[in-house]
Amino acid sequence: MSNITQNASDEAEFAKPLYTPIKRRSFFMYAGATAGATALLLSGCDDDDNTNVTPASGTVSLGSGDVGVLNYAYALEQLEAAFYAQVKATPAADFSATEKDYFNQVAAHEAIHRDFFKAAINRDAPGKIIPTLGAADLNFGSIDFTKRASVLATAKTFEDLGVAAYNGAGKYLKNPAYLVIAGQIVSVEARHAAYVRDLISNGSFADDSIIDPVTGLDKAMEPVAVIAAAQPFIKVKLDASQVGK
Amino acid sequence: MDFLNLLARLADLDTTALPAAAPRRAALGRLGQAGTALLPALLFAGALPQPAAAAPQDTRTRLDVLLLARQISVFENEFYSQALGLVAGVAAVPLSATEKTAVQTLQQQEALRVALFSKLITDGGATLPTAPRYDFTGSKNGTKAALYPDLQTSPDTFLRVAQLLEDAGGRALLGQAEYVRNDGYLFEAVVRAQSVEARHASHIRTMRRQRGATVKSWVSPADAAITTAGTVAAKVYEGESNTVQVYTTTATATVAAATVSVPFSSTLPINVGTPPLTPAGILEKVAEAFDEPFDAIVYTNLADLFTY
Repeated sequence: MSNITQNASDEAEFAKPLYTPIKRRSFFMYAGATAGATALLLSGCDDDDNTNVTPASGTVSLGSGDVGVLNYAYALEQLEAAFYAQVKATPAADFSATEKDYFNQVAAHEAIHRDFFKAAINRDAPGKIIPTLGAADLNFGSIDFTKRASVLATAKTFEDLGVAAYNGAGKYLKNPAYLVIAGQIVSVEARHAAYVRDLISNGSFADDSIIDPVTGLDKAMEPVAVIAAAQPFIKVKLDASQVGK
Repeated sequence: MDFLNLLARLADLDTTALPAAAPRRAALGRLGQAGTALLPALLFAGALPQPAAAAPQDTRTRLDVLLLARQISVFENEFYSQALGLVAGVAAVPLSATEKTAVQTLQQQEALRVALFSKLITDGGATLPTAPRYDFTGSKNGTKAALYPDLQTSPDTFLRVAQLLEDAGGRALLGQAEYVRNDGYLFEAVVRAQSVEARHASHIRTMRRQRGATVKSWVSPADAAITTAGTVAAKVYEGESNTVQVYTTTATATVAAATVSVPFSSTLPINVGTPPLTPAGILEKVAEAFDEPFDAIVYTNLADLFTY
């Protein structure tokens, strides 16, 4: 019983009115529904006994529940932001001026996404944020930052992976405010992905490798599969097995 | 138990209990007022049907969401089919071979999603709406001045309207996702359709840029406007330039909860590289970094411009 009480207050803290996107309709909805339901929402069935950030033998658990999804997004945005920051710092010699400008802009977008999640997790789930992935934690050894082709190929991998990750993880978010913000971000990731693909091969913005040729829907991937695909670029091992659970 | 999920289910089951004509904003207002008091009582009582009548609820059901998702794809499918000369009586837009290939990709993917959403609707026992008559010049079959008189002859005009429809489709779908969050399959279909719209919009924007237009692949305050302020079409971009994403602080014993903007321009370390961006430059990037949802009505009003 005491355990349940503990959980309730824990979850209540986490599910406070949150990051509301600018959409006013949503804001009112959350202001009302969340205020009323916050104390109750999630408290009943989620036996959230996560110890999110305790690394066990070099493994970082992204955590469970909504915070797990946020940490998952934060990890991917950190990866993307670090990649584009490097692209910006040491642009490929064969980039055009326009392409350099493009990557500078994308670098800013990804840094904004990264910082947004950092702020969100720190506010809504204090102490549960995963560690910052610094240069020493990342492995960009396979990327030749001096070559346009290598940078574009990696950018395509990251952007498509990001889109599939958000598309597959949205359903695990219980809080509608997070759900909307995830949608606001995936939309921009998809715009990036299409642009990078068109730079590699004009017209490949939505080819059959990424859009299901039967349903016409974009790819969606489960967290564990996404992290497996991202893991070669990250030295510390990430555990996504509890994300959204 | 997932309480919002339950609420959403109640909303779906008991739509008749809500005064049919109740404006949505009023309903939301009631949600704000009634929510705190009502919800705990509802939970503790465990009586489901009774509170449903009084519970404030949104007016978007799963079927509403499916119909809008389908309408978006139907609309774009027809628009691109006309441009490709696939519709009898409408001349193809004079596009280059590369442009035509891209428009074929767009059209085919929209057609796939028309089929998908149509099937989901009919499988659920509902019927598909009658196809409207289209006039993408906006002249309502010659009964009023055309909004885009050279649509069929000018690739620039055609691409401008295409951008409008793709950006609008993405924003509309983004606005629908939250209403079907308790239906994993439909939710995922909506968000996956939405990211395809974003890819499409990005490519249309690239095509326009290749033809000399001032437009980025993402929605930016730096884009040259393609709509006239105050028009129905202009609503498609309303709110997209938000430079603020806000959150609500935790109330303490002495300080009330407050709405606070994320300090992108001051304390967060987003200013990568040199030269540093100005605060205004950072806020422009913030606006670009998030696409914003809008209500279904914005899309249906837009679609109404092109049907008669």
